Amino acid sequence: MDAFAKLPDAIAELVAEFSSTPVVGNLNVGLTQYSLWLLIAGVVLLAVIFAFVKKQSLAPKGFFVNGVEWVIEYVEDDIAKGVVGSNWRQHFPFLATLFFFILINNFIGLVPGMKPGTGAIGCTAAVALVSFIYFLYFGVKKHGLFGYLKSLAPAGVSFPMNIFVWVIEVFSLLLRLVTLAVRLFCNMFAGHIVMGSFAIMASIFAQPLLAHFSAMNAVGALPSVAWVLILLIIYAVELIVAFVQAYVFTVLSAVYIQIAEADAH
Amino acid sequence: MKQINRATVAAAISSFVLAVPAQAFAEESSNKAEILIPKMAEFIPALIAFLIIWVVLAKFAWPQILSMMDERGKRIQESLDEAETTKKKAIASRKEYDELVTDARRKSADIVLEARKDAEAERARIIEAAHKEAEDIIAKAHANAEDERNAIYAAAAASIADLSVSVASKIVGETLDQDGEQRRLIERYVKEAGSLNA
Repeated sequence: MDAFAKLPDAIAELVAEFSSTPVVGNLNVGLTQYSLWLLIAGVVLLAVIFAFVKKQSLAPKGFFVNGVEWVIEYVEDDIAKGVVGSNWRQHFPFLATLFFFILINNFIGLVPGMKPGTGAIGCTAAVALVSFIYFLYFGVKKHGLFGYLKSLAPAGVSFPMNIFVWVIEVFSLLLRLVTLAVRLFCNMFAGHIVMGSFAIMASIFAQPLLAHFSAMNAVGALPSVAWVLILLIIYAVELIVAFVQAYVFTVLSAVYIQIAEADAH
Repeated sequence: MKQINRATVAAAISSFVLAVPAQAFAEESSNKAEILIPKMAEFIPALIAFLIIWVVLAKFAWPQILSMMDERGKRIQESLDEAETTKKKAIASRKEYDELVTDARRKSADIVLEARKDAEAERARIIEAAHKEAEDIIAKAHANAEDERNAIYAAAAASIADLSVSVASKIVGETLDQDGEQRRLIERYVKEAGSLNA
């Protein structure tokens, strides 16, 4: 089958297309296709939120206002109040911005022809770094620098074991930065690679039929139907993944803030 | 046809699962690690964009949104409290009203009873007066009739006596003494005859 022969090249081309390429400047100073879509997503986010602020009223009306409010209430109740606790109001602006920023970026990436800002490790690392510094800042603010560093080791472990535990805890603390960034990036990247692969397969299998109509080509193109169906299912799953990943990133940040501010481990 | 189709699908899937990723990853193995290294052209714009969006939203959007939601919650709570108070007031008013109505009904029933009693007494009094008047009228009528009859009898007796004397005079041929013994006899006879008839 010709289609199978073409697949490896097409997939390799697809993966290459997913690697960062500069749109403006170079990879050190400039904008890649991901950062460009991230900026566009940022503008969309601001537009959505300010349109909501303008339309929000005591008695919300319409799909847009009710929909956005439902998501905001979800962040407020489930993440801010549910995880952070009593001082949720202080952290709500950060958590809500984080959630909506990631969500809009993820959704923008699902529009055919667009890229998710969260599909590049550089972008997710930037957001993860802000989250990392944020919870460190509030941990230090609550306990003092020494107190916070001391609080990393659980109380009640005797010397010298507590030193080992402390080192492991510091290591795990630093890993949070990496895991936050890599988790979001990998989910977006992998999801788009899978969707792209099935889209390519659907088109490769259908190509002979489009070029020349014959019974043999029609039979050969039949798998395309299956690939398109699988693609649609994966697309639906990716819509859920986009929401879930925004939730996971935000809820983990909220957990880290809560742990940093907690009185004792 | 179906078998060919199935075979094609199976071959495609197995080929995709086994060959494609392996080949793709083999080709990408050289820059595998590169994918996980942040590029400054992505990191810096993302960092700046996120910080700007955070500051802008934290200053101009989230406080307004939260205060609106709080205000709504407060209003709803107030409305619920007000509704509860109004309900309690309504229940109290209803009770008061019911009491008033019951009292009014009782009073009206009393008034009706009293009026009925008065009317009954008045009726009895009127009937009694009417009876009495009727009896008086009847008694007076009886008395008048008696007088009338007596007068008629007296007149008739006088006429009969005069007639008898005149008839007797004509028969006897002489005038009977009008103020004499015969006349008194006739008058006595007429009187007795009248009393027998009466």
